[in-house]
Amino acid sequence: MDQRADLLQGTLDLLILKTLLLGPLHGWGISKRLRQLSDEVLEVGQGSLYPALYRLEDQGWISSEWGTSPDGRRAKFYKLTAPGKKQFAAERSQWRLFAGAVEQVLKAT
Amino acid sequence: MPHSWWSRLSRRFAALRKGERLDHELDSEIRFHLDMEAEELARTKGLDPVEARRQALVAFGGVDRYKEAHRDARGVRWASDLGQDLRYAARSLRRSPGFSLSAILILGLGIGACAAVFSAVNTVLLDPNYDNLVRVYQQNSPTNLWTLSTVDYRAIEAQQRSFSAVGALQSRSVAISTGGEPTRAQSGWITAGFLRALDIKPVRGRAIEPADEDLKAAPVTLIGYRFAIRNFGDDQAAIGRTITIDGVAVTVVGVLPPDVNDLAGRRAEIWPALRLRPPERRGPFGLLVIGRLTPNATLESARQDLAGISERIFPDWASSFQDQSAKLTPYPLRTAVLGNSGQMLSIFSAAVGLVLLIAIANVASLMLVRVTGRGQEIALRTVLGATRSRLLRLLVTESVTLAAAGALLGIVLGMFALQALVAFGPALPRLSEARLDGRAVAFAAGLALFAGFVIGAYPTLSLLRGNPAPGLREGERTIGGSRRSQAIRGAFVVAEIALSLPLLAIAGLLLNSFLRLTRVDPGFDPRPILTMRIQLPASRYGEDSTIASYWGHAIPLVRQVAGVVDAGLGSSIPPDDQGWSNNNFDLVDRPVPSGTAQPTSAWPLVTSEYFGALGVPLLEGRLFTPGDSSSGDSTSSVPPVVVVSRTWARRYFPDGTAVGRRLFSGGCVTCQPTIVVGIVGDIKYEGLGGRADAVYSPATEGWSQDMTLFVRTASSPAEVLERVRSALRSVDPDVPLDDAAPMEDRVYRSVAQPRNWMVLLSGFATTALLLAGVGIFGMLSYTVRARRREIGVRMALGARQPTVVGMIVRRGMLLALLGTLLGLAAALAGTRALHSALFDLSSTDPLTLAAVTLLLLGVAFIACWLPARRAAAIDPVEAIRLE
Repeated sequence: MDQRADLLQGTLDLLILKTLLLGPLHGWGISKRLRQLSDEVLEVGQGSLYPALYRLEDQGWISSEWGTSPDGRRAKFYKLTAPGKKQFAAERSQWRLFAGAVEQVLKAT
Repeated sequence: MPHSWWSRLSRRFAALRKGERLDHELDSEIRFHLDMEAEELARTKGLDPVEARRQALVAFGGVDRYKEAHRDARGVRWASDLGQDLRYAARSLRRSPGFSLSAILILGLGIGACAAVFSAVNTVLLDPNYDNLVRVYQQNSPTNLWTLSTVDYRAIEAQQRSFSAVGALQSRSVAISTGGEPTRAQSGWITAGFLRALDIKPVRGRAIEPADEDLKAAPVTLIGYRFAIRNFGDDQAAIGRTITIDGVAVTVVGVLPPDVNDLAGRRAEIWPALRLRPPERRGPFGLLVIGRLTPNATLESARQDLAGISERIFPDWASSFQDQSAKLTPYPLRTAVLGNSGQMLSIFSAAVGLVLLIAIANVASLMLVRVTGRGQEIALRTVLGATRSRLLRLLVTESVTLAAAGALLGIVLGMFALQALVAFGPALPRLSEARLDGRAVAFAAGLALFAGFVIGAYPTLSLLRGNPAPGLREGERTIGGSRRSQAIRGAFVVAEIALSLPLLAIAGLLLNSFLRLTRVDPGFDPRPILTMRIQLPASRYGEDSTIASYWGHAIPLVRQVAGVVDAGLGSSIPPDDQGWSNNNFDLVDRPVPSGTAQPTSAWPLVTSEYFGALGVPLLEGRLFTPGDSSSGDSTSSVPPVVVVSRTWARRYFPDGTAVGRRLFSGGCVTCQPTIVVGIVGDIKYEGLGGRADAVYSPATEGWSQDMTLFVRTASSPAEVLERVRSALRSVDPDVPLDDAAPMEDRVYRSVAQPRNWMVLLSGFATTALLLAGVGIFGMLSYTVRARRREIGVRMALGARQPTVVGMIVRRGMLLALLGTLLGLAAALAGTRALHSALFDLSSTDPLTLAAVTLLLLGVAFIACWLPARRAAAIDPVEAIRLE
């Protein structure tokens, strides 16, 4: 069985916000950290990563800035804004509610 | 919140503006991503750089698709799509040229007519130059308004507290010469305050000053711009030149601006200073008085102010004016100038608006048929992944493109329509200055946008609500015949009919009224009559004796001209030029109660031969004889006499004859009473629609300088014109004789305005009728095509042709009837505005309304019957096999 899981609809935003909670990152960094944090289970389809980044920026939850990567290349860095932090908290509690409910249903005999 | 909707919106805009740069940024961001991924793969899995790059690309999942998705998220996609939509719209419209051309043409006509009328209304009705200006009338009943006298004007000037400026104008036709042949010209004699009230300044020279109004000052005049160019070459050269006006040398001191052709609605070429003589009595009237309201005065406060003045001056002049009910009354100058025509112009704009609405409904229903017919194409696009919003944009772009093309055509047509309106339309002040300007173009663009949205609305809504996919499975039939789209098309048809009926009603009423007007007997047969207005130059004809000598020589000479049957003089020109001849009177036997208005009547001065020249019979009594007097001068031993018209005699002496009865002319009770000596046939002087009251005084005493010669010819007026002219030239070669016209022309001109209105509105009504007919025809034709199979089945099951025809016709006629009922209700409410424009006809005349209703239903029936016949001709076998 494939050990990688597709992202559940709607969870990508939450995960991106989570990765940025730890500090500014460029797009590739976000996808890499997602993979690491999920022990290589979660694979972000790149085709959805960048539109999601743009969407989040559009909503004002993250902001972007061109900077230089550690190896000296130009890269666009994203970082969490104050409303983004609030949004993360809200989405996180929603997710817990949702995951708990799903788990409860599945546990039922 | 830092990231409000506003900042998002501005980012969108920035994204649109910086689209290219953002695309570029996106490229570098992706490149960076791919580089990092490839390096990572090379490092961790030990792949060579090329393979690593390939795998990175695969993992990324198609760069271009992703770029599209990103652009979508960025919200700039619509901009690049717009170009695509426009190209698509143009292509799809080109593919069905019949539909596109007719839609563009229909919209173009509607929008063009609207733009033209909009420009006219803008220039004429909304002319800001009339703001805060009033005209003052003498008024003694809601409908009886007349001009002011010197007494009135001087009193207003001295006592008013409502106006920042007041002025008076007296217009009359004069003989002028700038060195060569004398010609006739219209003149408007104005006081200094007149131009100040209107706020008009000369382009050259100076305005008229109060000092110019002094009788002892050197006479001066302003002239119109065109007059200056025509006579002096240019406006500067005109200053200081001399014009001979009625024999008096007058100096030109100023030239009015090129765009001023009339003052307060009165047209003239020269504007001399008005020099009023000190009044001896309350009359005569004849001054057009205007005032500019001060900032804190209103029409109402001015009314009270003027009413007070009326009361204060009444006792001073009661001996020459007994009507205490007559009050100085202000009216907005705009109303005064435009009068009936302003109202007709409003009706006209409403009519044009209706035509445009009908045109839009028509194109919308055409579009509906077309879009539903394209159900398959749209379904296919949906299945292939076109989003709903994308399809919406496609359809809206198509309709707006259509409407925009219509607007372009409309602006071009509008220019022509405006020219036509100026040339053939009613004579309205400033109409000739109307231009299709930026505002009109903006207006047309607005109309086009509105039209585009209405036209695209239903297809759009149906997309929003419904799922177009079934179209792919079931084919065109189901989509086209769907209940909802049929209902919408039905609604369009009802609307078209309902909008057409008021238009038809207006046109029908105007036509009916016009026909009644032309059937009115003016009192004479105009065909053999030649008219020539002759005004003797005041310089050489100042004395009564010289005037009498001219007429005394001229008339016998004219009567001797070959081809002339009879010739007489009159001071009024029937049917609608009363000249200055209108007078009040009081019957000696039955005077009106004191302080109330006396009756008035047209009161021409004529010679006895006038009646012979017009062919009007003497019914009773006698005509004038050489010893007859016209004036009520108390020193004269001979009582003044008059001849009256039959209508006058019947109105005031219904039982018994009027001959021998006495009256006070001009209400002058101290004068000698005037005796009625004869009764003649009726002649109209107040327009063909007016009363036929007339009182004639003999012209032979107190000859006037300004008379019209009426010549009855044996053959035609054109033939004898030159001979009459040369006969008159032998009396005095310097008298201008250029104002000659066959009587028929004058009668024709008198109904020119109602005829023009009628023709214009009939044109609109015909267009509306055709559009409504085409609308029904189109809808039913489509229904028949869509229900072809069903009809085939019915016929196969035994339905006969008449049943099928009945079924189709019934459906169409039900809609037509519904539309007619709505339209009748609208017409009954709307035609009331027409009331004052109609002659001898109620604005809800049942016969006219019934006639136009039947006409509309008749056209509707034909439009239903044609497609119904086609339905009946369906071959059932073929129709069923077809599907």
